[in-house]
Amino acid sequence: MAKTQVEEINRNIYDIRNKDNYDYKIKKGLTKEIIEEISKQKNDPDWMRDFRLKALEVYNSLELPTWGPDLSELDMNEIATYVRPKGKMASSWDDVPEDIKGTFDKLGIPEAEKESLAGVGAQYDSEVVYHSMKEDLIKQGVIYTDMETAVREYPEMVKEHFMKCVPVNDHKFVALHGAVWSGGSFVYVPKGVKVDIPLQSYFRLNSPESGQFEHTLIIVDEGASLHFIEGCSAPKYNKVNLHAGCVELFVKDGAYLRYSTIENWSKNMLNLNTKKALVGKNAQVDWVSGSFGSKISMLYPMSILNGENAKTEFTGISFAGKGQNLDNGFKVVHNAPNTSSVVNAKSISKNGGKCTYRSLVRITKNAPKSKSSVSCESLMLDDISVSDTIPTNDIETDEVEFSHEAKIGKISDKTIFYLMSRGMSEEDAKAMIVRGFAYPISKELPVEYAVEMNNLINLELEGAIG
Amino acid sequence: MLKLNETPVRTAKNFRINNIEINEKIPTKIKEFKSLETICEDTKVRLTDNTSPIDLSYGLGNDLIEQVKENANVRIKAEINSKTNRELQFNFNFDNSNNNLIEDIEIDANEDTKETVIIKYVSREVDSYHNGIIRVNAKKNSNLTIVVVNLLNDNSNNFLSIQNNIEEEAKVNYCIVDFGGKNSITNYYSNIIGKNADNQLNTIYLGNKNQVFDLNYIAELRGEKSNVSIEVQGALKDNAKKNFKGTIDFKRGCKKATGNENENCMLLSDTAKSIALPMLLCSEEDVEGNHSSSAGKADGKELFYIMSRGFDYKAAMKLLVRARFNKILESIKNQALKNEILYEIDKRLD
Repeated sequence: MAKTQVEEINRNIYDIRNKDNYDYKIKKGLTKEIIEEISKQKNDPDWMRDFRLKALEVYNSLELPTWGPDLSELDMNEIATYVRPKGKMASSWDDVPEDIKGTFDKLGIPEAEKESLAGVGAQYDSEVVYHSMKEDLIKQGVIYTDMETAVREYPEMVKEHFMKCVPVNDHKFVALHGAVWSGGSFVYVPKGVKVDIPLQSYFRLNSPESGQFEHTLIIVDEGASLHFIEGCSAPKYNKVNLHAGCVELFVKDGAYLRYSTIENWSKNMLNLNTKKALVGKNAQVDWVSGSFGSKISMLYPMSILNGENAKTEFTGISFAGKGQNLDNGFKVVHNAPNTSSVVNAKSISKNGGKCTYRSLVRITKNAPKSKSSVSCESLMLDDISVSDTIPTNDIETDEVEFSHEAKIGKISDKTIFYLMSRGMSEEDAKAMIVRGFAYPISKELPVEYAVEMNNLINLELEGAIG
Repeated sequence: MLKLNETPVRTAKNFRINNIEINEKIPTKIKEFKSLETICEDTKVRLTDNTSPIDLSYGLGNDLIEQVKENANVRIKAEINSKTNRELQFNFNFDNSNNNLIEDIEIDANEDTKETVIIKYVSREVDSYHNGIIRVNAKKNSNLTIVVVNLLNDNSNNFLSIQNNIEEEAKVNYCIVDFGGKNSITNYYSNIIGKNADNQLNTIYLGNKNQVFDLNYIAELRGEKSNVSIEVQGALKDNAKKNFKGTIDFKRGCKKATGNENENCMLLSDTAKSIALPMLLCSEEDVEGNHSSSAGKADGKELFYIMSRGFDYKAAMKLLVRARFNKILESIKNQALKNEILYEIDKRLD
């Protein structure tokens, strides 16, 4: 059967570059002086400045990972870790500088806010430029603001939680994040409050040879619920950009949090992000994750099920094209009785791209009667791509039900033949099969992202029959 | 500290699976090993001690491989020329005078041949040390069945590296029975190079007390329409611990190859530990790969059913474990050996 020649992805709106028109950009590199300067620029309280300096020490003491994609092209001496855009944080899009507002307009953020969101935060380079939330949520005591404001206005709550879920010595890039973090969102949902409409933060990195290190801290108090959406993108430059954000989720007893991410970084981006959730008794955290961009991605969201009956679900898809190495996956630690996890991961590799699913399921001695089910499927669209599955399953007690299954393969010739015999072109048949493959994931995404993902699949598969 | 059995691809260090570290010393004074019983029904097997130089793609680790290269006290080269399936058996019986075995076994199956080779290690009372390498070259259209049985006692160390080269249309079927040793560390590598080459690997392990099993199975598929199937069934009681690392690697060019891997661990106590890393690596589009892994205690309904038929808990549990193992044990045609293994299962589950 003839092969479909796969075209390079058209990144259309994501590749819009604005002039690197910043208010302040720190010099490249990572030294104590640079960290002190970032701290000064951000008006940090003393505890935060000390924290950053300690994190730098940890960063310098840790090795690069000895596994996963090759990170040798990352040179911190060539990365500016703090870029403050022009303008102050606004609560009206009219007050956001024109070029920045233009970018977010094209990304559809203000439109989505009007139609389907309860609150929006928008970060441009290192600082949040826009934040707003619906009045009724403010009245219910929901806090949704940028991290800097949270450090100033809710110091006790921040001190109690900041980098407690993801400790600074977790790995080298968490330590880096601790030293240079800037921007990000802080969310607190009080006890019993159900936030029915999602909140969304969008992170845009515009400045070349720079990094984005936003910190997202979400606390969903007892019996409360929230759907939080995170989107990210950047235009492509010749040299590498770095994203080392950190997401800490505290899902207290009886609470529910859905955390949806669409990551569409440019293909010069090293995405070394860390996300972790601590889940209390009878609480649940669900992750929905789409990973399309980045040159290299190492992203393994993690749920630690600390409370009895805690639950987690992970639904994720990665799509790697030419020059991309997406090393993604999920980690879960069952640390209390009767906990459960369900993992459904899919990946598509094409045009020389590499997808790796890397995971950990650990069921500790403290977690009798726990259940875990992992399913992992990989689709190869040509014979120059690579797809690896590297799951670790660590079971420390007997009274568990654990199962893991994975499949790898290409689109079945028989299925294509069947669809073509019904009048479809090979191109349409393949696109339909790939969309069907991705459907269990895309149906979990917010609708505008699901549409975007389907468009992306069509774009990826567009091309002549060779 | 011995650092052994590195996986072909590393994962995060804190997953504790990339290798195994054990606090054991390699014996340096090695005496002759005289307690080898060779049973050869086949006149077309040529046995010599003229093994070729050792060159392993993986293996357990340099220290152990070097020991075999330099200090092997048994070297066997078996050249198979038979076209009818006969049995060749090597029984290594450890005793007080023969408690250290370092062996190099090389099996060359010539074209269109067929043979079964049984390699058994037994130490009932004596604490033993075993470090071996088994190399198999299966030439075109050969058909080899290899049964490796580890019945060392629970204070022994069992180290085994296996390497297979499987050519066009050749079939190599392994059955590994891994019961003995306080540490039983196995590295298995198959280079499935020929078109339509086929490799079946069936393993049962059974751990009790403080036994540690580390199984690192690697199959690289290079031949078109080649196939590998890895089936591992195990049970752990007391404080036993098992690491299973299974890698099926589809190399570019192995079009229409298939690979299946299934590992199942029955946990018979709440202090037993099971870690599994079933990897699928794929650089070829036109292949089919599947793996599955599961762990948990014996099924309550099955136990209830057996006990309702008058069996006590222990007998019911034994039946369930034997049922898990039976499909693999059925492939052993030597009835005496099968009975010996069944007796050992009963004994170890008491």
